[in-house]
Amino acid sequence: MELKRLDNDDLLTILGTLNDFAERELPFDKRTKWDEEDICPEDIVKTMLSEDVGLHLVFIPEEYGGLGGGAYDVYRLSCEFAKKDVGVATSMLAVALGTDPIRVGCTPEQKEKWMTRIAEEGLIVAYGVTEPEAGSNVESLKTKAERIIDENGNITHYKLNGVKQFISNGGIANLYTILAKAPDGPTFFVVERETEGIEPGKQEEKHGIRLSNTTQVILEDCIIPAENIVGTKEGQGIKHSNEVFGFTRLMVAAFGLGGGLSALEKAIAYSKERKQFGDYLYKKQGYTHKLIVPNAVRLAAAQAYIEYVAGLLDSSEEDRQIEGSVAKFFSTESGNKAAEDAIQAHGGYGYCKEYEVEKIKRDVRILTIYEGTSEIQQNIIGVFRMRQVVKGKGKFLVNMAEGLEGNDTVNGTLAAKAAAFLDAAAYAAFKNKLSREQHIIFELATSIAEVETAIQLCKAAAEGDDKLKQAEARIWAAEVAVSAPTRMLKAFKQSGKVSDELMKELSIKADIAGSIDAQSGVLEDMNLVAELLVQD
Amino acid sequence: MKILVPMKRVADPDNANKVKISPDGTKVTSEGLEAKPNPFDEYAVETALRILEDGVGSGNLRGEVVVVTVGGDDTVRQVRQCLAMGADRGIIVQGDDDALDSTIVANVLAKIVEKEQPNLIIAGKQAVDGDSNQVAQALAEILGWPQATFAGKVEVPQDLSSATVTREVDGGAAKVKVQLPAVISVDLRIVSPTGVQNNVAAGKDYQDGPRYASLKGIMKAKKKKVDTMTIADLGVDQTLKVRSVSFTAPPQRSAGVIVETVEELVAKLRDEAKVL
Repeated sequence: MELKRLDNDDLLTILGTLNDFAERELPFDKRTKWDEEDICPEDIVKTMLSEDVGLHLVFIPEEYGGLGGGAYDVYRLSCEFAKKDVGVATSMLAVALGTDPIRVGCTPEQKEKWMTRIAEEGLIVAYGVTEPEAGSNVESLKTKAERIIDENGNITHYKLNGVKQFISNGGIANLYTILAKAPDGPTFFVVERETEGIEPGKQEEKHGIRLSNTTQVILEDCIIPAENIVGTKEGQGIKHSNEVFGFTRLMVAAFGLGGGLSALEKAIAYSKERKQFGDYLYKKQGYTHKLIVPNAVRLAAAQAYIEYVAGLLDSSEEDRQIEGSVAKFFSTESGNKAAEDAIQAHGGYGYCKEYEVEKIKRDVRILTIYEGTSEIQQNIIGVFRMRQVVKGKGKFLVNMAEGLEGNDTVNGTLAAKAAAFLDAAAYAAFKNKLSREQHIIFELATSIAEVETAIQLCKAAAEGDDKLKQAEARIWAAEVAVSAPTRMLKAFKQSGKVSDELMKELSIKADIAGSIDAQSGVLEDMNLVAELLVQD
Repeated sequence: MKILVPMKRVADPDNANKVKISPDGTKVTSEGLEAKPNPFDEYAVETALRILEDGVGSGNLRGEVVVVTVGGDDTVRQVRQCLAMGADRGIIVQGDDDALDSTIVANVLAKIVEKEQPNLIIAGKQAVDGDSNQVAQALAEILGWPQATFAGKVEVPQDLSSATVTREVDGGAAKVKVQLPAVISVDLRIVSPTGVQNNVAAGKDYQDGPRYASLKGIMKAKKKKVDTMTIADLGVDQTLKVRSVSFTAPPQRSAGVIVETVEELVAKLRDEAKVL
């Protein structure tokens, strides 16, 4: 199948440019200072989007002057960028997000106008959807767009009034895509910064990503030409905002991966320098197997899953909302955990600014919140995947795991077994109307994320001859084969709504004792992973 | 005006600590490391572009910049990176790094000069892997052209007939003027904002450092021409004059210790390091 992707050499050159840019413009001392003083380096954001660099061109289609990269390219760029600084990377994300309604909703003529300007002028774009009282629940938005009608009854302008909250690039943007309620329903409008009546509010003082500019955006009798509507008619806004989730969530997932990997790298480097009780930290199993290896394993699983989703997005036009949600949920939670553990891994030094891991931790913390909180993702994953399992007659995950059964190099049998159990569990949850309990849905979502990432990691590891990846796959499959069924059986029992008979049936399918029996060798694998990680 | 810039692909110098010595001890290996254009060669590309530009950063050149490399097929990425910076054309002369020495490279370049007839050759002062610092000088000798090495500053008149080159020497700077055609090798300082003066693009300074391979440049570079040939095609004698006998790694540095107090530091310096 043909993948919509950049030439690999071009992608590597782009990543090289990103690296040169970050090395020159975002050195450690400057980032620390900006972080402390809560400053968004606006000039550097401008350089990033200028003709001299132009990183945003990766996600702008070729016909409008971009490179037309695919999801895989955007993932690689986002991941590498997040390794440098999640705050500045967020500025790029906001440009991508802000451009999205135009990309999916505008007419070709409108695209020609706006996209070309974004590509060539390097406009800073901001995405204005969230409001003080409309976070995850977009439908409750209050910003209004009133029609202004001339004597002939034609709509000539719209008048916007309202307040947008937590807008990334809010204070530095040249262009805003604002969601507002028009008479026929929520609609996106393109608003230029020079327009009278649009003003950034105060800059939020944030816990992390302090290099990113976040403000309220206030619209007060802001009059814009009717042609600035995204598309040709009102009421398409929610549809437009839903159409882009697969892509943007993948970007945030990639941030989680990049942030997590940079924290992990720092912890590994530290463990090779620090001696306690006569030996280096990396030689202590308690240290590596608690703070290093589990994070390396989860991040490897996140990476395999992100690459799987990127492949799906690049090979068809379909938006992959559920997969995007799994990627975002799992990867950002994993990145967050890796950063948290990296602080622990540095001991007292980790708690101090000098070692940077506390900044990474504060930075990645946003990732489980913005672009749909982890809880929103869990809801999507639990509800919609369950429906797919039911539709697939209880064979959805089994199909996904096809080919893994019997592959001992990656513990494929355990992953396949967990998949089969989870199919049965999702089916049982539906049949027993347990989906009304959000607790069950969330537990199901967590289990789905574990099992699907295990399947993808096993598949990726089975393809090549990467010893590290294979050991990580074995560890993750073994972990998930116990954790996912345990969690689900516990939740079912907690609900009090599952018959003893069904519990028994599911327990047999779960075969937790069998999976525990299959754990022998895992410690050895963890030793191997630790050993390979500390090698250069 | 045509400027030829020789470029060598090297292992990422940021990972210099990861290069290894081959088991037989006769060469340094950099397998698995990220490859980059030699930094000094990037400065050479930047210098060539600044000399020919009709305005600061304009990209409009009063001539042609041709990048040439001797290396494997995979050097095409580094050549394209130079094209993305703004060079016009690339030439890859296929060769294996282990079967090359400075003399062979200089002879290959001399043949390319014969074909291309450039007015000026701008090279990096040395490659950061082998650090030989020989090719530019040898090339000038073979061609019988004037040479000005380690340029920290280059000034050319509007008609590009000569070049005034400044290099840093102990306690000051030495300035030489060369008539073109000539070979110039450049040092880091050449990419300072005022490193190159072409007396056309005046009034505004360049940024410090070589320009980025911009994404727009990367797009444009896809359409630029890269020719490939072999050393044999050029009829250059491939007998090595220099043979590496052995490489030895520096002794491993033991890990540092973090001391809690000045007293502890002094005690360690006295009792363990015995320097007090």
